Amino acid sequence: MRTFKHLKTVEKLGFVAKYVFLLGCVCTALFPLVWVFMSSFKTNAEILSNGISLPSRFSFDGYTQALKISPILQYFFNSVVITSITTVVNVFFLAMAAYIFARYQFRGKNILYLLLSLSLVIPMTALLHPVYMTINALHLANKKSGLVLVYTALNLPMSLLILRGTFQSIPRSMEEAAVMDGAGFVRVFFQIMLPMAKSGLASAGVLTFLNCWNEFTFALVLTSSQSARTLPLSLSYFTSQFSFNYTAMFAAIVIAIIPSIVVFALFQEQIVRSLTAGAIKE
Amino acid sequence: MKIKKRWLVLFLAPSVILFMLIYAAPLIMVFASSLTDWRLMSPGIHFTGFANYIRLFKDPDFYMALKNTLIWILIHCIAHVSLGVFLALILYKRPWGWKAIRTVYMVPNIISNAAIGMIFVNVFNPRFGVLNSLIRLLGFGDINKNWLMDAATAFPSVTMTWFLFAGYTTIIVLAQALSIDESMLEAARVDGASNFQIDRLIMLPLLKKIIGTTMVMAASYMLQMFDLIYVTTNGGPGKMTTNLPLLLYGVYRSEYNYAYANTIGVCIIVVGLFSMTLINRSFKVNEADY
Repeated sequence: MRTFKHLKTVEKLGFVAKYVFLLGCVCTALFPLVWVFMSSFKTNAEILSNGISLPSRFSFDGYTQALKISPILQYFFNSVVITSITTVVNVFFLAMAAYIFARYQFRGKNILYLLLSLSLVIPMTALLHPVYMTINALHLANKKSGLVLVYTALNLPMSLLILRGTFQSIPRSMEEAAVMDGAGFVRVFFQIMLPMAKSGLASAGVLTFLNCWNEFTFALVLTSSQSARTLPLSLSYFTSQFSFNYTAMFAAIVIAIIPSIVVFALFQEQIVRSLTAGAIKE
Repeated sequence: MKIKKRWLVLFLAPSVILFMLIYAAPLIMVFASSLTDWRLMSPGIHFTGFANYIRLFKDPDFYMALKNTLIWILIHCIAHVSLGVFLALILYKRPWGWKAIRTVYMVPNIISNAAIGMIFVNVFNPRFGVLNSLIRLLGFGDINKNWLMDAATAFPSVTMTWFLFAGYTTIIVLAQALSIDESMLEAARVDGASNFQIDRLIMLPLLKKIIGTTMVMAASYMLQMFDLIYVTTNGGPGKMTTNLPLLLYGVYRSEYNYAYANTIGVCIIVVGLFSMTLINRSFKVNEADY
């Protein structure tokens, strides 16, 4: 094993440069977050007198005020409801379709699959107004269910792609054995195929969850009152809601990002695997 | 295998209905209504041919938005993706702490854009923002620059809210790089190739397709960028940081000119198809890679 001491000068320089770069990347990612976190404990006067000083004392005043001023918990609750329902519905519906596409032949199959997967290349922001009209026509505007419908569709192409691949990778002998034993189509799907496709279901689920949790544009267009607005939207009101109470505003930002960071810390391996699942073929 | 027709229909129906409602019908509506004079208060909807497109090509706001969109796509596809690839090329050699670095660098990509936007509104705040505070600390005078609202700095400032956070590109390229057969690299090393040569002559060509894929993703992301701009500058000052989605939203929500908003929508779709085709051609990313 060669140690740092035994490297040539050029290699030493390269080694140092590499870690300077890596440190730069880490700081870029963390510094803004750490600063916001730190500022949420400072008093208003401290924030205004010096933006990068350390807090003189730790108090959670900002947090209690933030929760009083902004209905952040209501938005959080809406986000949880919309995102969890969307994730379950999306994965379930797309697993059904993906299974058919992976296993069975029928007339028009290739065209139908091409159409469904083409939706991956449609820039959805181009369809803001027509999607609103559709949702409005269904009487779902400004309702959580309207957002659930749109979000389920937004993640349709990715989930289809991932799940079809998963079902294709499961050996056919599994189903054939079950059919020999007299299991019907529905039982084969629920009792054999779904449990075996767990990894794909998890990947599609995580992707759908993240996309919904962070979605902003359609939430902005499709909602008009507190009852359906989601957490990302609540952030855009902070500037006006908190006017000059900066401590509370920083606290509110921390409250809004903490759930994502906790979930990422807990499930990072699964999340990283899911994020790469759509892009990489193994 | 055989399947009863009713199961086939039942299993496909939810996805097909979703597709019809949220993709197919709106797509037809966006093209069709761009040829009309549909507004909120108009007495009826009339076919007006290409009038909206003629207005589009005379609209200075449109050119500003198109220019910004294209510049941002270009920056994102080239500089942002390069940053991610460069980091992945360091991390795949598994240096000390590589997993932790990968995870930490990914954090800004996990948080919602609205939150990142709000954070940067504060970072760039003229009074207590990090940037001005740092400049004051380093002794460059009492600066009170409003980075996001100053015409000279608004565009680069908005760009900084997403430019450096290439975690998504990094983990995708890194996952591909880690799946490459170690023995191939070992053979090159035995033959005396330096790390730099291995990266340039072996890794990059092997990663070409996946880099193309991340570029397609980057282009599509930038084409549809809305939240970060909306939260930070809302397209201002003037129209300096407006892109196509923001222009569309403005026409839709303040002018209530639905037909013209959808004309901009058609334009977004066209720019999307054009840039995807271009990237796919140059990187030979085939469809199976998505």
